[in-house]
Amino acid sequence: MSASEPSLLPPPAPPPVSTARPIVEVQNVTKSFGDVVAVSDVSFTVGPGVTALLGPNGAGKSTLFRMLCGLTAPSRGTVRVLGEQAREHRNVRGRIGLAPQQDALLDRFTAYEFVELAGKTHGVADPSDQARQSLAYVDLDPEDPKRVGAYSKGMRQRVKLAAALVNDPDLLILDEPLTGLDPVQRNRMISLFHDLGDGGKCLLVSSHVLDEVARIGSNVLVIAQGRLVASGDYRRLRELMDDRPHRIRVQADDARKLASALIGRGVVDGAAVRENALLIDTLNVDRFGRNIAPIAAELGIRLREVVPTDDDLESVFRYLVERR
Amino acid sequence: MTGSVSGLRAIVITHRLLVRQLVTRGRIAALLGVGIIVSLVVALVSRAGGEDESAEEALEIGTSVMSNLGFTIVVPIVALVFASAAFGDLKEDGTLVYLWLRPMDRWPMAVAGWLAAATVSLPVTLVPLTVAALIADVGSELVWATVLACVVGNLAYTAVFMLLGLLTKNSVVWGIGYILIWEGLVAGISGVGEKLAIRGYTRSIIAEQTGVDLYLGDLSLGIAVVVPALVILAAVVLSTLRLRSLDVA
Repeated sequence: MSASEPSLLPPPAPPPVSTARPIVEVQNVTKSFGDVVAVSDVSFTVGPGVTALLGPNGAGKSTLFRMLCGLTAPSRGTVRVLGEQAREHRNVRGRIGLAPQQDALLDRFTAYEFVELAGKTHGVADPSDQARQSLAYVDLDPEDPKRVGAYSKGMRQRVKLAAALVNDPDLLILDEPLTGLDPVQRNRMISLFHDLGDGGKCLLVSSHVLDEVARIGSNVLVIAQGRLVASGDYRRLRELMDDRPHRIRVQADDARKLASALIGRGVVDGAAVRENALLIDTLNVDRFGRNIAPIAAELGIRLREVVPTDDDLESVFRYLVERR
Repeated sequence: MTGSVSGLRAIVITHRLLVRQLVTRGRIAALLGVGIIVSLVVALVSRAGGEDESAEEALEIGTSVMSNLGFTIVVPIVALVFASAAFGDLKEDGTLVYLWLRPMDRWPMAVAGWLAAATVSLPVTLVPLTVAALIADVGSELVWATVLACVVGNLAYTAVFMLLGLLTKNSVVWGIGYILIWEGLVAGISGVGEKLAIRGYTRSIIAEQTGVDLYLGDLSLGIAVVVPALVILAAVVLSTLRLRSLDVA
């Protein structure tokens, strides 16, 4: 994906991220399951390099990935990988590597057997040799006699990744690949993603963890409630996210007196008292954090609780979607 | 590095994978146990008449018991368990994606699914039922009839139940419904129902080979072999189409 100017996009029609050599082209794609709209009018293109797909659980990331792979057909719009639809063209399916989100593996196989089978079903020239290389690439021992059913979550994630790599794919789709990995394994995997991206592969990596995405790729697609709500460079996006107003709930002895002082001294941008709690709006969390305790002490007010109400990922997405 | 996988190669790879997935100790032991128990019943009942019984009567009893137990229960149930699981298990546990998202056509996958189910279920039914026919000792006609009917019935049931596994979520329940309600009841009261019941063809093979009159067993040997072959072809084609249109998790 080219490093285009980041954009926070008003729903429902975000503009595509342009690329010089698109590997993935998604145009006005909608996917519904009965009355439930999982993906709504999404358009983007992605080229070589690592692109992170960020969104909360249930945002439509996996559905989008499934459509890219041809595992399910879009209800509306077109999805093309390398210029073709994977659902219809078997040669395109041979150029995709997918590590699905679900934990399912052929549990009675060893890691080597599983990855070798992936090689065989992809028509790889030397599946045995390729399986060994792929397993070594993700730090797994091809000679390990243990079945994958007995593997830890982290090892199973790596087996999936090795199987996705065995056909040397042009497009690698990794759905929440860092789930279950310890910090060392995460670092190793992220470094591996970058190596593959630098080598000219197109990697689409999904995550619902905001900070994880910063390390996965500088290019991001943000999806929420089935819609593409933002796309572009992560750092600019993060700045825009951080610039949003924050809401904090304060429980104190005298909420009204505290609210007057905070507003009067310009520490917060807004305050309201509801059900004995003080709801603070501020664009500058640091300033609020530095001042709240000294002001309360000065006024002889006892603080019982200071809790951000919108610091979770969901609220960030809500801001991106609804600007509130 | 990769290319598409030829039809024959895809059949071999998929067949090996599915056979390995289907063969679990529990399944084999349970179904082989059912087969052996039914076979013992067939053998014991057939020999129960003793010396007072004529050879013709013994053949009649042996054929009737074999037909009613072996080909009404053992063959269809064993085929149902393995064939509905061929793709059904992979679909349910989310591992079908490792076959589906590959540069392989869908028809070799369907053929391999059918062959894998037959590879596992045929020995589990053929061996105990043939042994039962031998122990019954009522003539070689019953032995050959059992072998032929078992092969034809097994291949037809596995194709149909593989399709069922791709079409429905609770394929074993639907399959048992077909065996008990359609083949057990509807086939007996409706001409169309009879023609759509595989049981009618296996019973016709047994009746034709042994010369014993059997309920629902009035078709010629040619029809009793050709129609199940067409059923297999239709089921494999429909399974191919289903694999193409399937939403894979």
